[in-house]
Amino acid sequence: MKTRDQEYRELFMAEALEYYDSMSRHLSELERNPNAGPALNELFRLMHNLKANARAMGFADLGEVAHHLETLFGLIRDQERTFSGALIKVVFAGVDALGNMIRAVGADQALPDATALLDNLDRLVRGEEPILEEAEEAESEEESGKKMELSDLVYIQVKKLDNLLNLVGELVIDRDRIMTLAQEIGNPALLATAQHLFRISDDLQYSVMDARLVGVGVLLNKFPRVVRDVASAEDKEVELILSGQDVQIDRNILQIITDALLHLVRNAVSHGLETTAQRAAAGKPTVGHLTLSALTERDDVLIQVRDDGRGIDTEAVRRKAIERGLTTAAAALDEQAVWALLFEPGFSMASKVTDISGRGVGLDVVKMALDSLGGQLRVESQLGQGTTFTLVLPTSIAVKGALLVEVEERPYAIPLMHTDTVLALQPEQISVVGGMLVTHVQGQAVPLVPLQLLLHDEGDELLPFADKADMTGAQQVLVVNYNNRRLGLLVDRFIRQQNIVIKPLSKPLDTIDLFGGVTLLGSGQVCLVLDVPALTRLFLTKRP
Amino acid sequence: MLGHSLNLTFPNSMNKRILIVDDSFYMRTMLKNMLTDAGYEVVGEAANGAQAVEMAASTSPDLITLDVILPDNTGLDVLKSLRQIQPSAKVVMCSAVGQEVIVTEAIENGALAYIVKPFSEEKVLEIVGAALQNDASEQAA
Amino acid sequence: MAETEVPAPIAKTERAKPAELVQLIVFRLGDEDYGIRIEQVKEVTVTPDVARMPKTPPFIKGIANLRGDIIAILDLEERFRLRPAGRPIPERSYIIAVEAADYVLGLMVREVPRPFTMPLSQIEPAPEFVQDSSTRDKYLEGIAKLPEGGVIIVLDMRKLLTPSEVMRLPGKTASS
Repeated sequence: MKTRDQEYRELFMAEALEYYDSMSRHLSELERNPNAGPALNELFRLMHNLKANARAMGFADLGEVAHHLETLFGLIRDQERTFSGALIKVVFAGVDALGNMIRAVGADQALPDATALLDNLDRLVRGEEPILEEAEEAESEEESGKKMELSDLVYIQVKKLDNLLNLVGELVIDRDRIMTLAQEIGNPALLATAQHLFRISDDLQYSVMDARLVGVGVLLNKFPRVVRDVASAEDKEVELILSGQDVQIDRNILQIITDALLHLVRNAVSHGLETTAQRAAAGKPTVGHLTLSALTERDDVLIQVRDDGRGIDTEAVRRKAIERGLTTAAAALDEQAVWALLFEPGFSMASKVTDISGRGVGLDVVKMALDSLGGQLRVESQLGQGTTFTLVLPTSIAVKGALLVEVEERPYAIPLMHTDTVLALQPEQISVVGGMLVTHVQGQAVPLVPLQLLLHDEGDELLPFADKADMTGAQQVLVVNYNNRRLGLLVDRFIRQQNIVIKPLSKPLDTIDLFGGVTLLGSGQVCLVLDVPALTRLFLTKRP
Repeated sequence: MLGHSLNLTFPNSMNKRILIVDDSFYMRTMLKNMLTDAGYEVVGEAANGAQAVEMAASTSPDLITLDVILPDNTGLDVLKSLRQIQPSAKVVMCSAVGQEVIVTEAIENGALAYIVKPFSEEKVLEIVGAALQNDASEQAA
Repeated sequence: MAETEVPAPIAKTERAKPAELVQLIVFRLGDEDYGIRIEQVKEVTVTPDVARMPKTPPFIKGIANLRGDIIAILDLEERFRLRPAGRPIPERSYIIAVEAADYVLGLMVREVPRPFTMPLSQIEPAPEFVQDSSTRDKYLEGIAKLPEGGVIIVLDMRKLLTPSEVMRLPGKTASS
């Protein structure tokens, strides 16, 4: 597990080693040209930074040496001392000492003593001659044979990692294509090379994905403060328990769910947990418990927000939903379906608006973040016992399984995350109900709509009344599922199932929410990726 | 992993936006963690004067923490540019012990306060909070 | 533009010293010649596979893969209503990839575009009285009169390619 202290330590080390290397470089320049202004300025600045960072880390001695050297370089810069004679020897000894100290920090060893060096630096600052010992000189000559060291860490912009991941994704698609071709052609040498390429690109993909992983802790560790603030604003006592900080997940996924998690946590404290008095009255411990945990489940990462509060009052949600006219069928919905309503846009159970619960911003933020990742939300709740929200997240956003379908001779990709089943229906298995095509899947009525109709829908008019008069032969239906709502899409044909890399649509086309992005097929053909949540919403607003 | 940051916005942050200017990645990270934990939004991190001026113009922060010693420019020159392009942004200088002369000059040039490194979280939040409540800079501008 | 007005009274022979030159990429739309400053052009290529994009105005032919970038392809003949009736887009057409503020767009043209260099002073500023968005005049930098006769209409891509201009929809999008 990487705590923040560890992170700081690693940052400090990486930067200190970098500073040390630069110092050595600038020193040799000064040796050649004792009046090199830029080198002096840089040495002054590097000493200054090293001092400040070392002191912040609590390495007082290291900070002290850097501080003395900073002062000395300040004097040289202001031409009160010259870079010559014994001063040069002391400065080199000083920078060497810094190097040793930094390495000692890195190796978790005690810092070497620097008293003699500090005394000499003091003398130089005061304008006195330093006291050089023979042994010291001999030692420093021995030191010069020391090996060079580079930092073990590089900083990299997330953008660069994103780019790398996209490229690898495309490589994987082409690899699959080459594999297919090689099998078709049947040349053994080609096939062997293709298989080798297959393995290498697999390893490469894994490595790139691995480089993007961070511990969930970097997000979870931000919550103690949030919980404290919300709890004190709501006048509640809450104990926060964190676990699974070391579970690894793609950095961008963590970024995307940040707001969602913040919402769930605030919601848990402000609505889930009861006040101290209410808890006492219910015979529960007065301090409420909130657990934020991360765990892995097969290829997914689960992040759970669990409270031991009042639980979801299913009937109250149901009443509210009917009241709001959200759904006429609310009376018949099961518990899970009712809970799903909590994540509908604009739905809030808050009877009073507090600073914490926000104004009209509901849990739909959570649903939207998960949709964009192809994640899922699970809710478990027991009245009076508490509620657990579980975010099911992919570990990596690199490659998604998708089903390719064809409509009007163009391919479209639909992420498998949202596909339920594929059907070939005879016209007699389809009925027309209230202007809509409907079929039954496992006893449940599922509306059907030609995908082409949704794609070309324009303006505010509702979809035309369905008619099955011109329907002949088997109809290809892809049943998609979003938020427990099933919708059958009529397509011209199924092409195949394939792993795809989704590229976001760039401006100005990124405003069309029906498409989650594009992907390139092995042939170089551009294929639009359909956004099932947006398709479902479009269907719900436009159905006749 | 290092270098990755997450932007959280908090209920009580009042959405104050802060730009951090410091040439040490370690310092910037520490400051950023302290500030974002307290609910501020860190809108940018600049490692030198040129970046600072550019980011101040593009992000219009409410407050800028400015290191007195920067690689391409002294912090003072940067301060003067910042005061010109973003007169409404409050500037808090960050300095280690021994830079008192520069700090005094910085205050004369419109910086509101200074934080002495190494700093504690409480101190940083106290100074930043106080600077944000101080409207003197706006009246002066 | 002021620079082009000041030297007006000076005799043409005065211009013997290097005049400011401008390089254009010239292409045909309908029966007219159009030009774009070369610095606004990223590359010219044969039109790749273009995927139709539902929910976009008709002059957006779709999206195409240009060296890994997915870009929107615009048909300016349709946008400016310059296509003579009964003249379809040929089988083989070309794409001029132009850079907008932070994205790239492709302009579909029927013939190979050609580079053309001329003195900046030959471009006369466009008249600014027509504001109907369906016409191209709003997007003109100016009109260049060629010594050998004929004109090149110089377009200002930055005005043409703002997202709101590109997405100028005849209907509405489906999103609510």
